[in-house]
Amino acid sequence: MAVPTLDTAVVDELVAICGEENVLTGRSALFNRARVPAPFPLHRWEQFTPQAVVLPTSTEQVSAVVKLANRARVPVVPRAGATGLSDGAVPIRHGILVDVKRMDKILEIDVDDRTVTVQPGINMMKLSQRLQPLGFIYPDDPASYPCSLVGGRIGTSGFSLISGRFGHTRDLVISFEIVLPTGDVIRVGDGGGRKIRKSSSGYQLKHLFMGHQGTLGIVTEATLELVTRPEAEFSAFFSYPSYLDAWRATGEFARSGLATLAGVVLFDEQKVAYLRRDDEAWIPAPDWVKSITAVAMYGQKDEVRAGAKQIMRIAKANGSTYAGDEVSQGDWWSRHDRYATPLHGRTRSGQAVLMSWHCEDAAINHSQLPAVREKWHWIVDDLRRRFDTFDDWGMFSYTNGAFRPGGDYLTEIDVGIWEQRYDEEMWAAWVDAKREIARVAIEHGGSMSSCHGSCREGEVDLLPLELGGGFDVMKKVKRVLDPNNVMNPGKYLLDQAYEEEA
Amino acid sequence: MSAEDVRKGREQATNGDGDGNLPVGIDEWRDAAYNCFSSGHKFCREVCPVMQVTHDERHSPTAFHANVVAMEKGHLDIEDVAEDYVHCTMCGACELRCPNTLFTGDFYRFRQRTIGVVRAMRKLAVDRGIHQPNWKRWAERTDQWGNEPVLGWNIETSDAKVRDWAVGLDLPTGGETVIFADCEAAFKRPSIPRAVALLLQAGGIEFGLMSQQWCCGGPMFETGYHDIAHKMVEHNILDWRRNGTKRIICPDPHDYITIIEHYPELDENFDEFEVVLALDLIADLIRDGKVTLTNEIDSTVTYHDPCRLNKRLGKWQAPREILRAIPGLKFVDVDHVTQWSYCSGAGSNLFVEKPELTAKISRRRIDKVKELDGVDTLVSACPWSERPLTEQGEAQGLEVYDIFELVAEAAGFEV
Amino acid sequence: MLGFRLSAQRPPAEHRRISDVVISRYEHVYEVDPRLMQEHVRQQSLPEWDFHRIIENRVEHLVWMQQHFADSVISGDDLIRELEQEGD
Repeated sequence: MAVPTLDTAVVDELVAICGEENVLTGRSALFNRARVPAPFPLHRWEQFTPQAVVLPTSTEQVSAVVKLANRARVPVVPRAGATGLSDGAVPIRHGILVDVKRMDKILEIDVDDRTVTVQPGINMMKLSQRLQPLGFIYPDDPASYPCSLVGGRIGTSGFSLISGRFGHTRDLVISFEIVLPTGDVIRVGDGGGRKIRKSSSGYQLKHLFMGHQGTLGIVTEATLELVTRPEAEFSAFFSYPSYLDAWRATGEFARSGLATLAGVVLFDEQKVAYLRRDDEAWIPAPDWVKSITAVAMYGQKDEVRAGAKQIMRIAKANGSTYAGDEVSQGDWWSRHDRYATPLHGRTRSGQAVLMSWHCEDAAINHSQLPAVREKWHWIVDDLRRRFDTFDDWGMFSYTNGAFRPGGDYLTEIDVGIWEQRYDEEMWAAWVDAKREIARVAIEHGGSMSSCHGSCREGEVDLLPLELGGGFDVMKKVKRVLDPNNVMNPGKYLLDQAYEEEA
Repeated sequence: MSAEDVRKGREQATNGDGDGNLPVGIDEWRDAAYNCFSSGHKFCREVCPVMQVTHDERHSPTAFHANVVAMEKGHLDIEDVAEDYVHCTMCGACELRCPNTLFTGDFYRFRQRTIGVVRAMRKLAVDRGIHQPNWKRWAERTDQWGNEPVLGWNIETSDAKVRDWAVGLDLPTGGETVIFADCEAAFKRPSIPRAVALLLQAGGIEFGLMSQQWCCGGPMFETGYHDIAHKMVEHNILDWRRNGTKRIICPDPHDYITIIEHYPELDENFDEFEVVLALDLIADLIRDGKVTLTNEIDSTVTYHDPCRLNKRLGKWQAPREILRAIPGLKFVDVDHVTQWSYCSGAGSNLFVEKPELTAKISRRRIDKVKELDGVDTLVSACPWSERPLTEQGEAQGLEVYDIFELVAEAAGFEV
Repeated sequence: MLGFRLSAQRPPAEHRRISDVVISRYEHVYEVDPRLMQEHVRQQSLPEWDFHRIIENRVEHLVWMQQHFADSVISGDDLIRELEQEGD
């Protein structure tokens, strides 16, 4: 199948900028940078391939590539780990893909001012391995902790599972350097000062460039928090006879006010039924176990111990049954690994099939969780009734607020999709379902994405509904910063910014 | 388990759902590849020794599976990807670290099998006449001499010389137990099989040499030359049967894996043989007091977990136990899970086709050793790893030993 | 036996039924009911050494992963006992 080719003069110039070994145009280089783990129309793969890949090694190279793209009017798409569950790193208009994986250095560790400065291609687990002997950790902990990269975490404004204690990506990144869509290079923080955490100087530009899904530039360096490594961890899983019991207990845990509380997780009844398919911790659980909560705490030994004891009191007062140390520790330690295996998939007749894991994530307030849950399952059940290629894998809710968890929740419904069977009808049904799931979130006062981003086909249609007048500001910002619409075009409905201008 | 079971189990049966575009030999990997494609975890990327050096997604285990899917959809052909598949040491880190193995592989008895996909793609390339020049030359020489050449191409590795390493050890030919010395050690670092032989003798194990040993065939399976590999397998099995051999001792983990993974597929009666790793046997002899380590070794060492032992066989305890039994030795351990992302870069003949890549990987490994306080020696337990590690070690002032060389010295032998 | 023997690599035929979809061949080790893997995805014949290797590596990996995040782990079972003794 033909991939539109790039003008050879542009390729030559890319080689001149980045060096021959850092420019790729072969078919396997292009097809292997088309997708991320988000829902992908496998039957239309060729629509999403870049025309050239560059693997820059410096900010100067990135800047020169972006300037070239402006001159040649070729799209530029940044790509870090490509583990995102939105489509930020997918080149939907072809163009030049800027893959930052060769920028993976630690530039400075400052123990005194407690910062670590890195390039965007470094992974958090690898970073923490380097920090451990110094008594520090970089505690940005998504499910993709073992593979996602710092650049992508900034591009998506990532969610951390232990944010109740340590904050999310936006709280852990102090400042960063970004190549703007015109190729100019700036540094953004709260205000100025590379290592300053709080400033009232000027606009809060750090937040503007956090979670832009590659539409506002390419991060080339970041200064991060160096966090004191916790002495102690506590994790506890509790069982309940119903979702509502677990939901109420979740609220009580979160309301404890304990500073060491890193997160509370709520597993609904469908999720527990799903875990009984193949999870060694829950296969032997008694029949009455219908719903689960989990609590995680980190800090110095004395404070965690005291806090954990309080959690156990709250648990008892709320009808929780402790699942024991083995399950509690094992399940928490496997939080990155356990939930996205293709063989979880089942046809209606119960046969195992290889399904992609698609997690629709929204931010929902505690009060709204039961109502949203019912509606979401209805939408997915309807899909499964119509197509024997979708499977309801149940719902999780994680405390969403940094440092003061419990008022709202990252709430996800996990849907298994047998993507080998994709055709246009099935794809269209899926896109419709995603849009409906997002609509429910907005109607209940939530946001349609807490962690992945909302620029995918389907829910992106509702972005103006969610943001209201804010979406008009987004368009104006985009037009000013990216006059030629070269930076990851086609995402977030931002082409509209240029239509209005014309 | 029958030979047929093994054949079936090596790969996933084609399930009939496919688009019919996949070449024979790749079609059976359709579901295995999709098992990766549909999950897209990419946890493999950060443990893959090649990816840590090239950072190029074409070389990622994820791409190795996605290419199968792309081939099925008609987007890629073997010509587009053959060279990509050279970028793999078959260390096994990716398939072990994959949640589809580590968390559900046992439950479903269906695990991620990246090495198998790489092997199948390399075979397809060779079958289609797409050769890597040095691998081709290596295969031709192996075919000609019966044993693999030695890098530098300047040592004759013919079967007339395959027993030279054992000169003076008075080993009989054949017998119920034989030692199977690998090509690299036999011709390049004979101190290793000599050390093993001396320790086995000291421990009272009776064993002999094959009358005419050929290469185990592993590198030929790994680089796509399966016809040559099959010749080797048939020859060696015949040699064992003719000499009444029932038990084969392998000092080299590569040979051990080749024999337990490939030989049963090609021989209906393989159950008559027991295959033993010299490492396990010698650890037993030390544990039981049959080999005593009395000579002090004044050195501070760390241990390199060879990929085949650690990542592919799960064997990491015995070498640590052995090192701790050597008097005078200070042992600075780096745990075996951290070492899932370490590699010497030597595996699956990467050093033959892409020596510069092997050098980068082994340099990184030596860099890791240099981060440890006071360590003067790196100990490995795989002759293939020891060539690039020794080269890089020399450049950074670090000695590299094989564990058997060290144990033999501690037991009072000169090798 | 110290070494590899092909006949030792077959899963034991005897198993216990745990639920409609799960069986068990070894104590505390669960496996999918093979009937679920008939139509679309077929099981590989994993040698027993490999089957057990995965289980052992999983446990080792989980412990290793925990050590990334904190030096020690506080036991919930201990806390519950403590609260009971305190009459809480």
